[in-house]
Amino acid sequence: MLELARYDGRQRLKGSLYLSAAMSLLAVTVVWIYPSFSGSFDDVDEEFLQAYPEGVIQLFDIRTMASLEGFLAFELYVFGWTILLGLYLAYLGAGTIADDVERGRMDVLLSMPISRARTVAEKFASLAVPIIVVNVVTPIVVFVAATLVGEPISAADLVALHALSVPYLFACGAIGLVASVAVDRVGIAQRLALGITFGLFMLESLLTGTDYESVGAVAPMRYFDPNAVLLESSIDPVHAGILVAMTLVLVVTSQRWFERSDIAS
Amino acid sequence: MAAIELEGLTKDYGEVLANDGVTFSVERGEIFGYLGPNGAGKTTTIRTLLGLLAPTAGTARVLGRDVTDEDALLEAKRQLGYLPDAPAFDETATGREVLELHAAIKGDERSEALLELFEPPLDRPVRDYSHGNVRKLGLVTTFMHDPELVILDEPTSGLDPLIQHRFAEFLREERERGVTVFFSSHVLSEVRRLCDRVGIIRNGRLVTVEPVESLLDRSGKVVRLRAAASISREALAIDGVHDLETSVVRTGGDSDGEGSEITECTFTFTGDVNALLAHLREYRLLDLSIEEAPLEGVFMRFYGGEESTDAESKPGLTERPGGG
Repeated sequence: MLELARYDGRQRLKGSLYLSAAMSLLAVTVVWIYPSFSGSFDDVDEEFLQAYPEGVIQLFDIRTMASLEGFLAFELYVFGWTILLGLYLAYLGAGTIADDVERGRMDVLLSMPISRARTVAEKFASLAVPIIVVNVVTPIVVFVAATLVGEPISAADLVALHALSVPYLFACGAIGLVASVAVDRVGIAQRLALGITFGLFMLESLLTGTDYESVGAVAPMRYFDPNAVLLESSIDPVHAGILVAMTLVLVVTSQRWFERSDIAS
Repeated sequence: MAAIELEGLTKDYGEVLANDGVTFSVERGEIFGYLGPNGAGKTTTIRTLLGLLAPTAGTARVLGRDVTDEDALLEAKRQLGYLPDAPAFDETATGREVLELHAAIKGDERSEALLELFEPPLDRPVRDYSHGNVRKLGLVTTFMHDPELVILDEPTSGLDPLIQHRFAEFLREERERGVTVFFSSHVLSEVRRLCDRVGIIRNGRLVTVEPVESLLDRSGKVVRLRAAASISREALAIDGVHDLETSVVRTGGDSDGEGSEITECTFTFTGDVNALLAHLREYRLLDLSIEEAPLEGVFMRFYGGEESTDAESKPGLTERPGGG
């Protein structure tokens, strides 16, 4: 078991290290500019928040800029994690099956004694490598950088936030996985996955506070709230559970779908 | 129990009927050639056997297991080797990493011996492989777990002649060991060298299944000759000569002095080559070539040339020499 996941995971290791380096660079930049921002204004929150249009504040769920935590939650976690990494995992997920099918590698793979359901599950499982690596490397960098600029933040909150982002990123990857079995051209699967993931983010953000807020419940973004963790140390295990359940539903759907399709040649 | 059994296998893509009621079986321990022009439906049959395509109608069994039952087919796949027509491996991995993955999933009984035989460049990434090298790596992955049955889709295309030769030798040895081989080809000479029996598919329909000798008797050879004499058409009206075309070229008085006649003949020959050579001894030949008939030509001659020929009216079948 897991031979395929191990193999794919190994192939993803290098890319994951580059990804972590890029996210760490973003983190360091955000932490590094914070003191000069907060030092330039008497009342950071007042002036910052007024400077942003109402729509942007709602879209990015900007709560406060008066602390490094609030600044990080918006600049790094909502933007970098919820949006950028969410889209990236959806993109990676979309490449898992469709790429092998399009390039003819799936024929060789499925000629081995390995079921289609297992192929889907193991290929999906290999996404754990980028998800884990980026969530181990970046918080260490954030913690050290915050300490170095004299704005230390809670290590426990940081760990909790990154732990909660793991099921979130798997859910985004699972959206890509469905796209990957639904179409057999990888380019289309990737665009589909990016479109759906970004659409869900917009849906969730823009419907918040309206009569249609409940529609946003289908979006994984609703269950990952960097502000709540960093500002209030509030961890919602139910939300994590919902993300895990979403992921499972999407993976099982992908397995059933893939079992029923002809492999394009 | 046959190694492969097809019963009325049909795959309908809507606009194309890729396989239309294909029925045949491959016995254990034989080398079975699946012959047909490009686009005839060979790959569709093979990919259905692998469970990659679901048949529209009909059934197929591989090593006794129904190909539409995934769990059953997985059992068969432990004893199955498969080389697709365009094998593809992870391009970022080296050949060695690909072999390690295959070994981990299906086992490795003898990759070392296979590597000596086919020599793919293991330490290079697959991205840098030529087509031939990808196929060599594919041959190793196909046979490394010592399968009972191998299915090969156009196995020799892209291999250089030396490796083709080794591959043919290897396949015969595999048959001696009891391995069943099912391979597709559009090259008649390859099939004749290797196969015990041949199934011919055209436009999705199985045209015939027969021992390779009877097919060869009927397919004939293309003979081209040039003679420094006049050969009348009647002189070549011997048994087994078909589609005779002759032309006479007159060379004007060059260095030899007086002008001479050169006769060029082309025909398909289905008789005994010795009889033909004996017959030609009376002429002074400038050149003679006897070649395998191209597969398309075989179809034209024996199964009617038109694409639209349907199974019920194969006019060519009645005139086949040797009677099959």
